[in-house]
Amino acid sequence: MAKSNVLPSIELVNASVEFPIYNARGRSIRSTLLQRVGGAVSTEADGVTVTALRDITLSLRNGDRLAIVGHNGAGKSTLLRVFSGAYEPSSGAAEIVGKVASLLDITMGMDPELTGAENIILRGVFTGMTIDEARGFIPEVAAFSELGDYVNLPMRTYSSGMTLRLAFAISTASTPDILLLDELISVGDSSFAHKARDRIERMMDRASILVLASHDAKTLRKYCSRAVMLSEGRIVADGTVEEVLEAYGIGDDGDGVL
Amino acid sequence: MSLHPTSRDWRLAADDFLRGMKSWQIWTLMGVSDIRQRYKRSRFGQFWITLSMAVFVAGIGVVFSLLFKQSVAEYVPYLAVNYIIWTFMSGVVSDSTTAFVQGTVFLRQENLPKTIFVMRVIVRNLIALAHNIVIVPPVFLLFGVVPDWGIFLMLPGFALLLVASFLVTLLCGILCTRFRDLPQIIANLLQLAFFITPIMWRVSQLDGRGWYVTHLNPFAVFLRIVTDPIHGKVPELYDYGAALTVIAVLTAVTWPLFARFRARIVYWL
Repeated sequence: MAKSNVLPSIELVNASVEFPIYNARGRSIRSTLLQRVGGAVSTEADGVTVTALRDITLSLRNGDRLAIVGHNGAGKSTLLRVFSGAYEPSSGAAEIVGKVASLLDITMGMDPELTGAENIILRGVFTGMTIDEARGFIPEVAAFSELGDYVNLPMRTYSSGMTLRLAFAISTASTPDILLLDELISVGDSSFAHKARDRIERMMDRASILVLASHDAKTLRKYCSRAVMLSEGRIVADGTVEEVLEAYGIGDDGDGVL
Repeated sequence: MSLHPTSRDWRLAADDFLRGMKSWQIWTLMGVSDIRQRYKRSRFGQFWITLSMAVFVAGIGVVFSLLFKQSVAEYVPYLAVNYIIWTFMSGVVSDSTTAFVQGTVFLRQENLPKTIFVMRVIVRNLIALAHNIVIVPPVFLLFGVVPDWGIFLMLPGFALLLVASFLVTLLCGILCTRFRDLPQIIANLLQLAFFITPIMWRVSQLDGRGWYVTHLNPFAVFLRIVTDPIHGKVPELYDYGAALTVIAVLTAVTWPLFARFRARIVYWL
């Protein structure tokens, strides 16, 4: 929910993201880059440039649920990072209004040497809480992630499942205006996965704008109302989820993994 | 690609700075965590900082007082204070080279003010300084050094040092993210600076020669405006003037650079 009186929005006008690769020279590197990233690679006088996004014009308003589809390397993650404000376009403009939560890397900034509780505070402060507010979150997060007494032990003593559960619980503790997801996160065993699904759905419901990048047609149909398809960093299709999925080669009821 | 920042660039740079300062809880926490993490599983924890400083001062203090034919009682307090302040200065400069690279995971995912990562470096080094400074009172007590009220003159000097530290960290942070050979060069220069700055030796030992070594060297200038009051001297006006000049030049270089390339930093990570 929007807390301020200005409604959350995302406005991209001719936004491009070009990465300079300064230490890359020569054709061999160029060809390996071409294999690794789908984006177009061009060699200029001053080195190699990877164009991850090209002339993206897109406008998202309160209530929009956007799906991003495209092959690996089409620019989905980069677009999410532009939405989060991390990448300011190298040309064109991006105006993002509202509090963003980007769940691209849910373990961001978590430190194995710190205890679970300390990690909760650290991450909480990053999302704009004061240290005291973040401390208040510890019981809730610890309970949800089923850590028990482990919450006061260093995170390196956790099993990988516990670490992920904690990361998930921390990342989904706040309610953002704009929620960015790269694939629907699934963590833990079936009972936890169920609980986690409820929690993230609640978070999605509360968010004013949702952007979900996924390869799973079923998921996209369920949560999104609008879709864009990316290819080599460009938007090649824009419309309802059904229209775009069709353009992508998945017909009416296809459940396929894209 | 123009090198001139647009009006939007200036505005966003100022906004970054203001938001960065307001996020003091983030950078304090990060700075504290950095220190905590480094010493987490050791028995003495962060007091290794203090311990290694004490060992250095004791060892070098005894040998160099013989070498320089000075009494231990005079030399050790001099060395302790100088070396502690030098450790802060060199710590800031060497940490500045990784200021942004270290924050890669955060900067790639979220729209955090870049200045947060500058302040994190400063906080981290301030904490180390706080651990080092505790050896000064015992040293003074041991050798019967009694500071006078003039010691409070170190405060304006230290404030100037902090301003310069912020600017240097921002400047080096940006340049070292873009030019990855620079950290090596800076590490080399810092080693050189340690020997050409009057930390272990005294300006008076130069017998009036080499004015440029002690007065055109910014490390020496900032060292004096902080340590002179502790050594019972009033810093020369020249030193304050030089410190302010250094800050002015740093601002004139760093701020336009930051305004122009603030948004590019994350592309260089």
